[in-house]
Amino acid sequence: MAQDGVVEALKVERPMTVQIVRTKAETALIQAYDAVERELPGGAWLKARRSAAIGSFAAQGLPNRRVEEWKYTDLRAGLKEMYPLATGKVGGAGHSAEAIIARILPGVEASGFVHLEDGRGAGFAGIFSSKDDTSPYLADLLGSPPAWLRAELERGMATGGTDGIGSLNAAFFANGVVLDIPSRLEIDQPLVMLFTDGGEGRGSVFSRSVIRVGDGAKVTLVEVHCGNFAAARQVSAATQLMVGRGAMVTHIKFVETEADDVHTGKWDVRLGSEATYRPFQMTLGSGLVRNELALSFDGQHSTLDFGAAFLAGDRGHIDTTLLIDHKVGHCTSRELVKGVLDNAARGIFQGKVIVQPNAQKTDGKQMAQALMLSADAEFDSKPELEIYADDVVCGHGSTSAELDDDLLFYLRARGIPLAEAKSLLVESFIGEAIDKVEHDGLREAMMGHARRWLAAGHVGA
Amino acid sequence: MLEIKNLHVKLTEEDKAILKGLSLTVPKGEVHAIMGPNGSGKSTLAHVLAGRDGYDVTDGLMSWNGESLLGMEPEERAAKGVFLAFQYPMEIPGVAGLTFLRTATNAVRKKRGQPELSTPEFMKVVRDKASKLNIDIEMLKRPVNVGFSGGEKKRAEILQMAMLEPTLCVLDETDSGLDIDAMKIVSEGVNALRSPDRAMLVITHYQRLLDYIVPDRVHVLADGRIQASGGKELALELERSGYAEYKGKAA
Repeated sequence: MAQDGVVEALKVERPMTVQIVRTKAETALIQAYDAVERELPGGAWLKARRSAAIGSFAAQGLPNRRVEEWKYTDLRAGLKEMYPLATGKVGGAGHSAEAIIARILPGVEASGFVHLEDGRGAGFAGIFSSKDDTSPYLADLLGSPPAWLRAELERGMATGGTDGIGSLNAAFFANGVVLDIPSRLEIDQPLVMLFTDGGEGRGSVFSRSVIRVGDGAKVTLVEVHCGNFAAARQVSAATQLMVGRGAMVTHIKFVETEADDVHTGKWDVRLGSEATYRPFQMTLGSGLVRNELALSFDGQHSTLDFGAAFLAGDRGHIDTTLLIDHKVGHCTSRELVKGVLDNAARGIFQGKVIVQPNAQKTDGKQMAQALMLSADAEFDSKPELEIYADDVVCGHGSTSAELDDDLLFYLRARGIPLAEAKSLLVESFIGEAIDKVEHDGLREAMMGHARRWLAAGHVGA
Repeated sequence: MLEIKNLHVKLTEEDKAILKGLSLTVPKGEVHAIMGPNGSGKSTLAHVLAGRDGYDVTDGLMSWNGESLLGMEPEERAAKGVFLAFQYPMEIPGVAGLTFLRTATNAVRKKRGQPELSTPEFMKVVRDKASKLNIDIEMLKRPVNVGFSGGEKKRAEILQMAMLEPTLCVLDETDSGLDIDAMKIVSEGVNALRSPDRAMLVITHYQRLLDYIVPDRVHVLADGRIQASGGKELALELERSGYAEYKGKAA
């Protein structure tokens, strides 16, 4: 391993010898692993996998533009340094989970919440504490995990993210949420998972959550990633989700970032048969965010209805990357991604849909749309359909546009001032994606965040 | 009083004059019709009155109640009482009709120094005015004009006009795309708004509408200028003889 301040070069056997020069951040990440390896939770089975994962990272480095899946989000160039691993020591009186929920999800009555500050358990309530004394924190379970959890972790670490970021998460994750929803349990109100910073200046945090939803269960999961002390964070948050036969899962993610924040999130989802999965991701701010969803249809007659809304300003960078694998037939997938880009912000959509040879009667539709509020904004859209079956209906579309002058005139001719007219049109644009959220309180909360973003000067006359 | 004197207008993007010295006066309380062939500048006049971008006024004056409209933003003109009923009302996906109406109504009320309407007050007024135009309130819960028929869109325009209580109403080819029943409903809505404080400019290609909205004066617009003016009988004469005479005059 590299010495302090020495850039390490690694020779890799290729037809031509290529010399990979590690960046400062890559070197720091590898050194950080050596430093904390002994303290990371989990038995020998996990340590072996962590060690393999950091080896994989050392070989490939941070994702960069030469890696097709990361073409538009070049972390080797974008991640100048690694923030020190956040220890989870609370730096002072932060906001309580209740206060954060009241701010992010006003008017929502959660059935329960679990809160992590920099990966440290910071409290839980409701459903998360009701049934027995099982901890909702992964760190508490890694010593002797139940068989299903260990099997799922092993699977997820092996296949659910083998690129540089996935490897880093596998090497470093120290905590996360574990949730096992029994079959046929129906929970009306949302279960909220809060991931916030614990103060102490800049830091990096790696979490991995594992959720199993039993057959026929019905649940609304909400993952919130936001600031608590406004300390900049590099967050890697992986979620593994198994949806049982006939289960109905709504899965909301809310990410709010500021300029120096980096968030790479990955949802690794497997759908059983006759399941309904409704994910929605809302991202706001000026940081760098990558939201990935890798979903596998493992059973027939299931439905995916994905929505995403993002609003980015300044030099914000928001990447939505989907990998939808129709492994079996008779499933429906819908994706609607809408983004509003101001200043020099950049939006990215990559939507890969694979229809395997035996996945007949697949019905897939995808749409990505960006609204540009500034001439300096950029939207890159890359839909990819790989269809190997012959009896399928699949389509995709992508648009990027400015506000419509004719519509603006129509509103202004009715006396609506320019800034308000712009707000109305942006709201109506982004509202179409937010309308995918069926839960009234959650939908209103998301719409409220969009309005707040607009009111913060993004449609100034 | 609407006063337009020697108005010259060209398109911003092209070097093409459209209005070439148009003069027109419409006193309060009167309804004037503007008739003319296609391409005579009728819609340009409507858009320039409402303040649409894309046109340059190169000469002349245009004022409402003694205040020049030139250089005024569209929303300011609306607050001053100018209302343009569009020939092709826009569809606004994602904005509910009621939200749009309430936002617009309260924006102009605020600018005019009137108190904003609370939700119950607004709903009472809108229910009343909508029912007179045969508009189902459920329709107004849907996005503005989305999926509406031609007749529904025009009735929605007249409802907006009724809500905003303008003093200068400009109706741009309101009869286009209307069947006879829809034209009757729309005309009744317009006639209900006739008042001594309000001037109306009804722009149309055909005389038919003027059977329902009977004008005080009729002007013939061709080649960017008013070529003739007269009483309502002028419209009937045009219906018989067409615009050929005025086109010839223009050339």
